[in-house]
Amino acid sequence: MSAPSLDYDKLFTARLQAARARPYLATALFALHAVESRHVPTMGVDRYWRCYVSPRFVERTPVEELAGVWVHEVSHLLRDHHGRSDRVAEERGLTGPGERLRMNIAADCEINDDAFGDGLVKPAGAVEPALLGLPTGQLMEDYLRRFQLGSRTLELAWLDCGSGADGLEREWELGPDGAHGLSEQERDAVRFRVAQGITGRPGSAPEGWQRWAEEAFHPPQPWRALLGAAVRSAASAPGAGEDYSYGRPSRRSAGVPGAVLPSLRRRPPYVSVIIDTSGSVSDTELGSALLEVAAISRAVGGRRDLVTVVPCDAAARIAHPLCRAEGIPLLGGGGTDLRTGFAKALRGHPGPDVIVVLTDGQTPWPDSRPPCRTVVGLFPRQHRHSGWDEDDPDYVPDTPPDWARVVHIG
Amino acid sequence: MPTHTPFAVPTLPSEPGPTADTASQLDIAGDLLSLLRCTTTEPRPDIQLEALTLAVAADLPVLLWGEPGIGKTAALTQLAAALDLPLTTVIASVHEPSDFSGLPIVGDDPAEQGVPMAPPDWAVRLVRAGRGLLFLDELSTAPPAVQAALLRLVLERRIGALQLPPGVRIVAAANPRSSAADGWELSPPLANRFVHLRWTHDHEVVVRGLGGTWPRATLPRLVPERLSEAVDFARRAVCTMLAARPELTHQLPNSETRRGGPWPSPRSWEMSLRLIAFATASGVSREVLSLLVRGTVGDGPGLELLAGLDRLDLPDPEVLLADPTAAELPQRGDLRQAVLDGVVAAVRARPGKVRWDAAWALLVRALETGAPDLVVVPATTLASLRRDDWDVPTEIENLAGVVTLSRRADEAAARAKEATRTAARARR
Repeated sequence: MSAPSLDYDKLFTARLQAARARPYLATALFALHAVESRHVPTMGVDRYWRCYVSPRFVERTPVEELAGVWVHEVSHLLRDHHGRSDRVAEERGLTGPGERLRMNIAADCEINDDAFGDGLVKPAGAVEPALLGLPTGQLMEDYLRRFQLGSRTLELAWLDCGSGADGLEREWELGPDGAHGLSEQERDAVRFRVAQGITGRPGSAPEGWQRWAEEAFHPPQPWRALLGAAVRSAASAPGAGEDYSYGRPSRRSAGVPGAVLPSLRRRPPYVSVIIDTSGSVSDTELGSALLEVAAISRAVGGRRDLVTVVPCDAAARIAHPLCRAEGIPLLGGGGTDLRTGFAKALRGHPGPDVIVVLTDGQTPWPDSRPPCRTVVGLFPRQHRHSGWDEDDPDYVPDTPPDWARVVHIG
Repeated sequence: MPTHTPFAVPTLPSEPGPTADTASQLDIAGDLLSLLRCTTTEPRPDIQLEALTLAVAADLPVLLWGEPGIGKTAALTQLAAALDLPLTTVIASVHEPSDFSGLPIVGDDPAEQGVPMAPPDWAVRLVRAGRGLLFLDELSTAPPAVQAALLRLVLERRIGALQLPPGVRIVAAANPRSSAADGWELSPPLANRFVHLRWTHDHEVVVRGLGGTWPRATLPRLVPERLSEAVDFARRAVCTMLAARPELTHQLPNSETRRGGPWPSPRSWEMSLRLIAFATASGVSREVLSLLVRGTVGDGPGLELLAGLDRLDLPDPEVLLADPTAAELPQRGDLRQAVLDGVVAAVRARPGKVRWDAAWALLVRALETGAPDLVVVPATTLASLRRDDWDVPTEIENLAGVVTLSRRADEAAARAKEATRTAARARR
């Protein structure tokens, strides 16, 4: 039996259905360039936005399933699975074709757990986290940690979504110099347009895609680095910490008789940490954040006795042992209202240079700016809708004020 | 000339004295060192070096962000050589504010004559030379007061009482926040003055370079005939974009992740405009321009501007409607659909039988030269624009396949809906 030639009409009918079912992905779907290939088992993409299609696969697959495959393949490219695979391979030292297969499977899990349904059929043989006994809603990097190739993945060994999914170049791909490839800038432009379409019309795309759109060009950074930078910058900015002052003349003054030059002086910053948990933040999270703040303020020249912790109610149970171990003086407990925490911190002598607030944000904030720099470490709320009050549906928790630098923790 | 020390007479002729031995060993070491220094270059496309060169040519201060030890200084040395500029390196973090704002020198009568601020020697030499590349290294680890003093240097090009001549270009380098454990972050005013470029190393380049061959970037050349055209294009690009998105004109970085990086302000938009003009006049690739623009106004606004440039590149719907048979449609599907949508929108804006027919001819042409699914939406919209007295053109017959395609997609969608409903029921 001779191999069939590619049924482009069927393939493009499927793409049209995919674009109708997922209008926010239409730009990306249409940007893909279809290439007939007898080397792919089904369909696969490379990082230059070419889509390799097996004619036999198109022949035997119904249109509605092909539509699902289109969306699946374009998701690999939008979610930058090839770039992320390369990075994860380098970070964790994963080499070899087996590892790339694992990356392809993990990437498939990230896509498939919320790609289908709502007018799109799940193609036969699509890998889902449940198949590997894994929870849904994780990222590829997380899935990758949680399974090994084994009996459960045996039947997936044929799976191949191309280098666009796992970063490993295939021999039969056209490569960077081949026809109809997209340059890096063009790829970014397409991804940007899709992201803009999603954020511009929130509500039309599922949550997973909205999260992707928000983070596509601003990937979240590790909160430790951000909190560290915020505290460090607050503690060392003019007026606090290490800077030039006229308090003592510079040693260079000898060279310019008669002139008074400022010298670099280190004045250790006073840091107050206000903790408000209201019971919704886990002890581990709070403990690690508090340790982080203590370590950072020490690094910028603060001494132990210059870091004070102002605990608010429930937090006291963690703050006490931690501070005893760290030698940080504790100020007394207080109510759940953060404003009392601010007042207490500011009453100290001398007043703090920096106030670091660790909170989940479910609190009223002071009306006016405190006379020192404020960094807010914001914990995620444990329940997605806990800000919604059954007795008062109109209740909206205050967001941290403009004068505070806000770092999202976790 | 052989040297002899009368006190150290060698006991054996084959064993030279310690002094002679040391001298000759040092000579040999020198030979070995010069052999090691002897490397060649080869032309190799390197977009980050091209971007750096273009920004320096446009006289905009560049800030290279890169991990320590990846060859930022080496790149600067090469750039200085390529531009034939003397290189002056100043490590910002080991200087005091007065090194940049000038040291006060008290004269005979300070009340009468004032206290002049004397500039440091490197600045005097730079001004005397009239041209040069000033490299401010370790910017992110400079204390805030030094950064404040640098602001004036970068902003007004002044060091104490000295004004840097126009022939001096400024490049700075900083370590990213993740690797600068004890660093300060860049203040927004200073960050807004720079073109930010991420400096990364290419594994292949490093291996080949250690083997003796370093890349030599070909410098972008400005074409004199294209200058005024380039200025027009750049002005149109930036103004069209800001007219449509006024909120992007000025946006202080509001989230922690964007601090210390590029952000849009009238100043950085003007820098973008200059970069687009330079890129157009020298014909560098969109890739290079993308690095530069995103490094000037930030990723989001930069990408939006670049998307606007792509649209400026698309064929004008009116031109296409005037002569549909000669139409050149873009190959890329998403761009092609954008053009067809534009054509239909133009017909809707100014309807007329001739224009309507021309649009159909264009759709047929699109069908003959590309994927059929792109034509479905424009064709449906165009059909809905029909007036009662307009006869259906014969070309529509050629679009019969599109109608079938659309119907089959509808059928597939109905089957998919049924299937998902069944699956949902089964789960329940």
